[in-house]
This record gives sequence, structure tokens and C-alpha cells, in this order.
Amino acid sequence: MTYAEKQRLMRDRAAALIEDGIVAYIIGWRETRFPDKTAVFFARDKDDAERLVWNEYAVPLTAKYMTGDRWPDGKIGVFARGCDSKAINRLISDNQIERENVYIIGLPCEGKSDDRCLTCRQKDPVAYDELLWEPDSASPTVAGRGRFFRTEEVEALGTQERFDYWEDVYSRCIRCYACRNICPVCTCRECYVDMHRTGFQGKRQDTAENRVFGVTRAFHVGDRCIECGECERACPMGLPILGQTQKIIKTVERLAGDYESGMSPDKENFLGKFDKDDKDAFM
Amino acid sequence: MAIDSEPKIVAFCCNWCTYTGADLAGLNRMKYPENVRVIRVPCSGRVNPQFILRAFRRGADGVMVCGCHPGDCHYSTGNYFTRRRFMLMRELLEFNGIDPRRFHARWISGSEAAKFRDTVTEVTEMIRGLGK
Repeated sequence: MTYAEKQRLMRDRAAALIEDGIVAYIIGWRETRFPDKTAVFFARDKDDAERLVWNEYAVPLTAKYMTGDRWPDGKIGVFARGCDSKAINRLISDNQIERENVYIIGLPCEGKSDDRCLTCRQKDPVAYDELLWEPDSASPTVAGRGRFFRTEEVEALGTQERFDYWEDVYSRCIRCYACRNICPVCTCRECYVDMHRTGFQGKRQDTAENRVFGVTRAFHVGDRCIECGECERACPMGLPILGQTQKIIKTVERLAGDYESGMSPDKENFLGKFDKDDKDAFM
Repeated sequence: MAIDSEPKIVAFCCNWCTYTGADLAGLNRMKYPENVRVIRVPCSGRVNPQFILRAFRRGADGVMVCGCHPGDCHYSTGNYFTRRRFMLMRELLEFNGIDPRRFHARWISGSEAAKFRDTVTEVTEMIRGLGK
């Protein structure tokens, strides 16, 4: 099926779901004034449904936008690819949304034209109420590069070089918190960086404070990260920050075996529990 | 003004084990380097990884997190969470170019005054070697 055919299906189905009152509105994508960018869009009626698009630029994650509506008038419809469905599972297990408030229209993905899709492990939705078309059975992943290639590139450096590498990265950070805002896992009502009186996050604009923010953000997201890469996409300075969180996932895998966040809504996360026989490098 | 060339080490010590151990070291008139600054916390599980970052950010040359041995936690399970948390944090610090010898997590019980002394001495010497 071509993009145009799939887009037709999407628009028709969205219009039908809204008209039939199954959903209150649907979250999808629309065109922007840039030919190679789309924006997340809330379709509320039949005319809106005609504005939905599906093409290789439909990159942004739809799931995070549900968190703004905690008590919806009816169900929230959401178009979900693999990454969106993992984010939805994550939001459910983090008690941010309720499954019965969500109607998931699964869209098996082709892999989009964005760097964040390079290490995609899940093109097809892992949770949905209906699938709009059959998944491409050839490959469940886009698999452009190894899962942890971003992390491994930095790991290959020596200690001082790694220090300099991150010093360079965070010297360009403007601490706009776009990475936090876009992240489907960063759902605190009040983020630690906004608690100015605790002094957890210094407000000075310098590299050291940026580094504190970078490491803290990585750790807060840490074991819950679904590796969607939205943080890197949203970063206006184009900083390579996904490798930072993936380092944690990689460590969790080394300590506790295969680990992938967001594959089911009830999966416990690594730091929320313990095992008395955990490996111990301390004395 | 002379520049202070001694390293500063921040040690987060659990109230029930390591802090008592440090107290016992004092009662026994044991000698250990004065570079260490002890901060008492109710449990090693209280130590937010951010405390470590903040200590480094504010100029500490080394950071230690000390708590009860696994199985001995006053709150039953606190240090099991600590263990997981700092296994990850240690790797993440190393990934960010902080020498792993600057961050230590140790289990020291209330009766192990000598172990507290030895650990602090060892860590201080290690960090002195690394430079400020």
C-alpha cells in the first residue's frame, strides 16, 4: 500500500470514529508550512479528519499529548505506531492515563525519515484496539544500526576524552528543557528543575549546570526510557543525548538480562524493585 | 593566601550503620584523614543520585555513599534499592568522564570502626593520587 492509500484509510476511519461518537477526538499529524515537517494535530470533526496526514515525515510522538487531558469527555483516539504504543504502555504503568480512556488505532510503521528511527526495534504497535492495515511481515524493526551504537561510540573513548566529549556537548545546551517536555516518560507535574527553592538545579547558564541537568535527566528517565529518541529530535541544538539514557538501559541489560521498557502496561521497572541476589560491586 | 591542596571528600553515611561506625572510630581514638566530610542520612536509600552530582558540582573531589550490609538495613530493604541505584549511577558517571575512583559505595556496619578508618584512608590516598 502506498502512503496516499494509507492516508485515505486514516482520514475515513478518523471521521467515522468521531461521527459515531466512539472517540471525542483523535490525535494524529497535519501538514506544516515546512514540506519535510509535520505537527501533532487534534482532529475534532469530519473536516479536521481531512487534514490528517500520513507520510514519511509523520515523525512526532502522539502519545505524550494525551497527558494534558486527564478527564476527557469520552475516549481519546490516538494514532499509534510502535513507538507511540510503547509510550502509551509506559504512560499507563506510570499512572498518567487510563487504558479505558484511550482508543488506540494501530498503524504499522514503515520507518520514517528521521535519525530517531535508526535504532527502532518496534515498528508495529504492541498495543491497539484496531489495526488500520496489516504489518509488513518482512521485518519487525527498521534496524539501521545496532541498538546501542550511540552509547558505544562514546564508550570507546578514554575517561578524559569522554569528559571532554560531554563538556563539548553540554557547552552548546541552552537548557530549554525541550527534551523533557517532549519525553513520554517525563510526566512529573512539577519537575525538579522548576523547584527553584530547593536548589537542585542551579539557574546559572553554564556548562557545569547543563551537565548536572543532562545526567539527572538521564537518570530520572533511566530505566523507563522507551528509546524513542524524541529528545534528540526535539533538541534545537541537535545534541546527541539519547546515548546518555541508553547507557543506563545498557547497564540494566548487563545486570539483569534483556530489558525493554514499554512492551506491556504492567511491566515493573528495574529501579522500582530489587533482588536480594543482585550483583554487587561494592564491599 | 595559601591554596588548599587537600582533596575534599563527601561521605553520605547511613544513620544506623556507617555513622555509628564512624562514631565508634572516634570513641576508639582511631586516626583517619580529616579530608572526609560526613553527612548523616537516615538510610543509604535516602541518597538521591543528585546529591552526588551536586557534591561534584560544588567542588568535591570524591564522594562516598556508605550504608548497612545487604540484609542488615534498619528499614529492611532500603539498601537493596541503594545497591541497584548506584550500580547504574557509577556506570553513568564513568560514561560522563568522571573517574570511577572518585565515587565509592561501601557497606560498613556499626561495629566496623576499623573498616571505616581503612576505607576513608584508602579513598583519600587514591584521590590524592588522582589530583584535585
